Amino acid sequence: MSATTGETGETGETGETGVTAAPRRRPSLAGLRLLLSSPPSAAAAVVLVVVVLVALFDEQIAPAGANDVDVTQRLQAPGPGHWFGTDDLGRDVLSRVVLGAKVSLQVGAVAVGFSLVAGVLVGLFAGFYGRWVDTVLMRFMDVLFAFPAILLAIAVIAVLGPGTTNAMIAIGITYTPVFARVTRSAVLGVRETVYVRASRSTGASDLRLLFRHVLPNAAPPVIVQTSVSLAFAVLAEAALSFVGLGTQPPDPSWGRMLSEGRGYIDLAWWIAVFPGLAIVLLVLSFNLLGDGLRDVLDPQQRSALQAGKRTPGGRRGRRSR
Amino acid sequence: MRRRSVLATLAASPLVVAGCSAGDEVPTGEGNASGGGGGTGAFVAAISAQPDQLDPHKTTAYAAFQVLENVYDTLVVPSPDDLSMQPSLATDWETSDDELTWTFTLVEGATFHDGTPFRASDVVFSYRRIIDQQLANSARFATVADITAPDDSTVVITLNQPTPNLLSRIGAFKGMAIVSQDVDEQSLTTQANGTGPFSLQGSSASEISLSRFEDYWGDAPQIGGVTFQFLPEPAAALTALTTDQVQWTDNVPPQRVATLGDDESVELGQVPSVDYWYLAMNCAKAPFDDVAVRRAVAFAVDREAVTEAAKFDTARPNQTAIPEGSEWYYDYAPFETDVDQARQLLQQAGVQGPLTMGLMVTSEYPETVTAAQVLASQLEPLGITVDIQTEDFATWLDRQGRGDFDAFMLGWLGNIDPADFYDEQHRTDGPNNYQKYSNPVTDDLLDRASVEPDRDTRKSLYDQAAKQIVDDVSYLYLYNPDAVQVWKQGITGYEVRADKAVNFDTVVLPS
Amino acid sequence: MTGFALRRTLQALVVLVGVSVVAFALVHLVPGDPVRLALGTRFDQATYDALRERAGLDQPLLTQFFTWFGGAVTGDLGVSFRSGDPVTLLILERLPATASLAVASIVVALLIAVPLGTASALRPRSVVDGAGTVLSQIGISVPEFWMGIMLILVFAGTLGWFPAGGYVPLSEDPVGWLRSLVLPAVTTGLVSGSVLTRFTRSSVLEALSAEHVRTARAKGLGARAVLNWHVLRNALLPLVTVTGVQLAYLLSGVVVVEIVFAWPGLGQLALQSVQARDYPVLQGAVLLFALVFLVLNLVVDLLYSKLDPRISA
Repeated sequence: MSATTGETGETGETGETGVTAAPRRRPSLAGLRLLLSSPPSAAAAVVLVVVVLVALFDEQIAPAGANDVDVTQRLQAPGPGHWFGTDDLGRDVLSRVVLGAKVSLQVGAVAVGFSLVAGVLVGLFAGFYGRWVDTVLMRFMDVLFAFPAILLAIAVIAVLGPGTTNAMIAIGITYTPVFARVTRSAVLGVRETVYVRASRSTGASDLRLLFRHVLPNAAPPVIVQTSVSLAFAVLAEAALSFVGLGTQPPDPSWGRMLSEGRGYIDLAWWIAVFPGLAIVLLVLSFNLLGDGLRDVLDPQQRSALQAGKRTPGGRRGRRSR
Repeated sequence: MRRRSVLATLAASPLVVAGCSAGDEVPTGEGNASGGGGGTGAFVAAISAQPDQLDPHKTTAYAAFQVLENVYDTLVVPSPDDLSMQPSLATDWETSDDELTWTFTLVEGATFHDGTPFRASDVVFSYRRIIDQQLANSARFATVADITAPDDSTVVITLNQPTPNLLSRIGAFKGMAIVSQDVDEQSLTTQANGTGPFSLQGSSASEISLSRFEDYWGDAPQIGGVTFQFLPEPAAALTALTTDQVQWTDNVPPQRVATLGDDESVELGQVPSVDYWYLAMNCAKAPFDDVAVRRAVAFAVDREAVTEAAKFDTARPNQTAIPEGSEWYYDYAPFETDVDQARQLLQQAGVQGPLTMGLMVTSEYPETVTAAQVLASQLEPLGITVDIQTEDFATWLDRQGRGDFDAFMLGWLGNIDPADFYDEQHRTDGPNNYQKYSNPVTDDLLDRASVEPDRDTRKSLYDQAAKQIVDDVSYLYLYNPDAVQVWKQGITGYEVRADKAVNFDTVVLPS
Repeated sequence: MTGFALRRTLQALVVLVGVSVVAFALVHLVPGDPVRLALGTRFDQATYDALRERAGLDQPLLTQFFTWFGGAVTGDLGVSFRSGDPVTLLILERLPATASLAVASIVVALLIAVPLGTASALRPRSVVDGAGTVLSQIGISVPEFWMGIMLILVFAGTLGWFPAGGYVPLSEDPVGWLRSLVLPAVTTGLVSGSVLTRFTRSSVLEALSAEHVRTARAKGLGARAVLNWHVLRNALLPLVTVTGVQLAYLLSGVVVVEIVFAWPGLGQLALQSVQARDYPVLQGAVLLFALVFLVLNLVVDLLYSKLDPRISA
């Protein structure tokens, strides 16, 4: 939501002294079983699997081409033939929702992938090396963080030009500081643990240490943050498409369909309602899964959160609106 | 008048209609949600954008002109009926035999809102300001050699070459407004001192209010004032209208026109406008430099479907620029949608295999985005893949200026004289010939037409030019939209104009 | 000022300078030319050159930056390309609308979050708790502008209770101000409220499990009395700071919601100035957002360090 509530970690420096004792639970098969034993997480997982399947087999599932324009068929109410109705250009809304799944998942995956890689690298190096590396990297992250998210994304797109790819990059840049902070505080937690010190004394190289020992231990909060960020990336794409900067027409993205349907909301509610529901469903699933993952992977942080020692909305991704 | 100060607004009084002199800060209570309409003298108009500034000589924004239309005057003004030029601040004019000297006689007894009398020297000052500072409309004075004021009520304009459309050049819109020679030029961006029927009361980020100018030289308005509220969301504007928050709006999406027509509580005004929307292909870039390719596209496009999709029932397809009903209209429609012929033309041009056409549109004008999607589907059978590029308007203009496009779609608004329609857009190296069209035949016709004093000869020259432009597909003309505006039932005296100028001085509220 | 506070303040200042550099660079990287835009579609080279010089855009970039930065330090943010108004004036003009919306949204959010969060915490795993959890999860999953559109459709369109958009200044008409505020404030308030509900729940839970509360309960104080005196007080301070953070977000301009409701706030101003390439206004607005954000975060950090001495150690 707000820029600060957006991180899983702490505000500012708090992490340096953050509670860091026990190593976090690592992801495992048992963990997965535990995750799916919770009804909300299981439901979320089912929805996600369905959405992924829909995205994979979109052309086969969609009853019509997503871009079959036929003005004579415009604004048809839902019914046999067009289960979700048709839009202002006579295109089948169901087909567009189906094909839109791919766009939403792609944007989410690539954008979050971008911030994940960039943020984790920054966080790793900042946390591990400390001193000026930490100061320079993290102050730069603070600068990005101090921009209102949507404005930063809009400005980045203005520089790069509108389009799905650039929207992904813009969203990716916007969310990088979150991952950097989460990773950094996790690294700070394990840096001085017994086994890292032990490996260091046996002469392991920095890189080996970072990627063999430090990173895996920083993984749980990063995984949780990933799920939550996916939710916000989908919302961010919708918001960017709403102001006309995201996916370009005629490609069906849910966010775009929402903004196109907005002008018809009182004439043809179905144009905007169905993609809207699709967004809510997908975002809700990512959020629920994030919650479930946290319970399983990161009980530490959960208790810290509940103690109110961390930024509260703390668990939430940075929301870009 | 200054911006409304905090203190002044705290002392908000009910509607104040007294004429006020410079420096007065008379707050008005009209224009807020609870004000309501009907008989109280409050008239609130919802427009879709906030004016960028109020300097008539500098702004190019339609929103600004909606306001300025009611505040400033020009020497001549387009008549509401056929847009021919009729007297305003100039009551009379004469042209010398060589067509190079125009003498204007000015109206008696007009004053500016600050009380100073209007004189010929104000006209000279205003025009010189536009020319000397090279402001937005200076090109309109391109043929002007000198402007003088022999006495207080006479203005003489001397020309380098005959300019038969001089009147529409100086009167088509309020960009040629007469400002007071005593004005502090810096202040013009936020303040106004015109001779028009309303004077500026105050402005904020959400509205601008005007009040009746009691000493107006023409017939003083019936209503006490007008508040322009900025409501960019059509849904918000229409809801505001139904709930009587506002009494007038032009923020009407085409798809709502049918239902509004049935609505008893509002009156819908729909008049064919003199705007046109078009597709332009880059004549300096292969393969669009080949006229056969451009003609192929013209044959593949179904204008009816594009128009219907983008504008519902609020626009007329047209293959030329000038709409039917205008005195300059030329009936010419050589293209019948015919994919086979289009294919042959492509083959003839030697275009092999699939072709991608980048089509630049702008979210500033959403109808271009809608139309582009229909155009894309129509060109697909021809093997042309349309890559739609939605840019914000700044980037759009930038790319257009650099010639960095395959094709773009946009419109020209408020065109009155054929020169507005053709000269700048289709003459070789014309300032707005971004598509780099060049045909000596067209150039010659346009050159001759621009200095031709005889109206009929001029018309026939422009007809020939129009034919050439359409045949060469310099522009692929699509449609002329209607001007669509709605207001509360019971309001009378208001008229929708083809040039979309908005005049509220004749509005009468129900009692 | 303690060492910690001093260090954090300096840090915030460094970040602020960084923001102005990045904002300036980003803004000037954007293709599109404000002068070209001001001329509209009809172009004339001589006019273009004249305007460009007047706006100082013919100067080298570095000169432009230092001119702007030098002014900004002394509180002069320059004048708008678009309107010629001083940027500070434009921002001040928009501030009341944004502040009204931010405060009203927080009020809505707290009205939802405090009762719902507290009730959930008092009866964990009850129906109320379940409903609260589900609602807050949905609340954060709905696109804000979508919620705004739905509210307009129902409460402004069908029912006609509130205006569909636009802002009425408080000084002009208090009743109109309140009416214009309801829908946008509910829109953003519902989302903020969802965040705060979850937070209230967890901090009340934590406070309930704290030692002295258990003691108080053992001493025989009724659940209600314990809730009032001990729990709420302990849960309140963290809640206040979170609310501060939410406020920072809302003050940074809720761009999309402001567009939906035609709300003449800072977010809308910023978006318009991106579109108009109005560099001075955009830079000024971003600087202000960053300042508000950093100051509120600083306050939150310092408050926490007071609460929990371990942090400032």
